[in-house]
Amino acid sequence: MTLGFSDVHFSYPALSVPALTGATLRFAAGEAVALVGRNGSGKSTLMLLANGILRPGQGAVTLDGQAVRYDRRGLLDLRSQVGVVFQNPEEQLFSASVYQDLSLGPLNLGFSSVEARERVLHAAGRCDLLNLLDRPTHALSGGEKARAALAGVLAMGPRFLFADELTNSLDPWMRANVLEIFADLLADGCTVVLATHDHALAASWAQRAVWLDAGRVRADGPADVVLTALRQQLPPAFSHRRQTADARPPAAVSAGLNEVPL
Amino acid sequence: MQHIDRFAYANRLTRLHPAYKVGCSALALVLCLGVPHPAAGLSVLAAMLMLAIAWAGLPSAFVLKLALGEASFLALGVLGVAVSVSTSASAMPNVRMGPLWFSVSPDTLWTASVLFARALGGAAAMNFLALTTPVVAIVDLLRALRVPALLIDLMTLIYRFTFTLFDSFGRMTLAHEVRLGFRDGRRSLRSAADIGANLFVEAFRRSRRLDLALQGRGWDGALRVLPHAYDHPRWLNRGAR
Ligand SMILES: Nc1ncnc2c1ncn2[C@@H]1O[C@H](COP(=O)(O)OP(=O)(O)OP(=O)(O)O)[C@@H](O)[C@H]1O
Ligand SMILES: [Mg+2]
Repeated sequence: MTLGFSDVHFSYPALSVPALTGATLRFAAGEAVALVGRNGSGKSTLMLLANGILRPGQGAVTLDGQAVRYDRRGLLDLRSQVGVVFQNPEEQLFSASVYQDLSLGPLNLGFSSVEARERVLHAAGRCDLLNLLDRPTHALSGGEKARAALAGVLAMGPRFLFADELTNSLDPWMRANVLEIFADLLADGCTVVLATHDHALAASWAQRAVWLDAGRVRADGPADVVLTALRQQLPPAFSHRRQTADARPPAAVSAGLNEVPL
Repeated sequence: MQHIDRFAYANRLTRLHPAYKVGCSALALVLCLGVPHPAAGLSVLAAMLMLAIAWAGLPSAFVLKLALGEASFLALGVLGVAVSVSTSASAMPNVRMGPLWFSVSPDTLWTASVLFARALGGAAAMNFLALTTPVVAIVDLLRALRVPALLIDLMTLIYRFTFTLFDSFGRMTLAHEVRLGFRDGRRSLRSAADIGANLFVEAFRRSRRLDLALQGRGWDGALRVLPHAYDHPRWLNRGAR
């Protein structure tokens, strides 16, 4: 199963600068892809196009080589295969309770209540949400909201998961948990595309990286190669820190810092 | 509002099927409205307070304070019914203030006390429901009763948005406060207007984003969700077995 973008152009209405210009990409089953690039480079736009929420102005999005049809049937088909977790999880939860929020997707796909319940419980279990199912969504922490948003998409059983900066609000433990969920999905032959500004995470997790620059695919290839190229473009950050890093900290502090790996 | 919500999610009756709680409150309301005697309202009040404190395990201080607040508000309201005002002296005991005569008759007193007890009992019944039953449960019940989906979706979204907007409001207020937006009267007014306008824009923006996210999950106009599982009273279970 593959998801393809062939020469996709997209501009937001009322904006003269196009958000994507001629993106051509192909995502195959079981790939772990990091989507990187500066603010406004078009990462979120690409995800909205993948899920059929936006329609390419020119070019086509294809599923298994077939151009996506933008009618009700075609979109439902696309959305049962391609799930997107958006940048701000707060804005994706609509229901008063986590359990009901998770059940929306499966019921929309036409599953019976029994099957939908099973899927909800399975997704909740995967995302460590089982003891939060009865919680009102407004009483969740940021990380919990992110997991609820992820579980709501997982409950639909997508073959392609696009996660937009999902790991940002997660603590290191939950981040590891989410990466584990991704590993499970990858093992099942799903494709996971993670947009992120965390290049270290991208380098350690992804096999492939796609670098977007001002709406163009600037590089696409093995993660380490692409990220090395990207790193050369980074501004000389932390130059102040680098200068002072050699200065020894006061003895009292360094004694306390001994075990802390920096 | 946020207090009420918190209690609704954390009392002994949270998981009880909403039909019983709505039934209780409805019965109490009917009693209050059907029996034109202050005793009806007052006994409903007592019963509802008992249920809220002893059955649902809500903190008595909070429940009593809520009822007291409503009582004082209602007392002011029925004052106008109990006291009649006229420009001439009447047969009843009168108090004169300038050109006006204030009087109280047994009739008006009776009407006022029935009204007072009735409203207080009704309010207590509603308090009981609001404090023990999460909004989700009420929505589940309405759905089971085949209330039109549009109304139910609206209730769900209004409830959700109430909290997200509270949240935004809190953040915007803070953002103005840290920049000394409330330092004096003029600035406060400006800040308040600013926050009001932004809140409107924010609500609009949020609803757009939510619409996109829902579309992403295959939403096609109806917010279909699974109902929660609720408990039934133990004596009913025993009867069924
Ligand atoms: N709803 C919108 N309306 C108009 N223009 C938009 C909208 N969303 C994004 N844009 C514009 O489209 C371009 C691409 O934005 P996009 O959100 O895809 O970037 P991004 O790579 O996700 O950035 P970030 O890292 O900040 O999330 C930007 O120039 C942005 O200003
Ligand atoms: Mg983005």
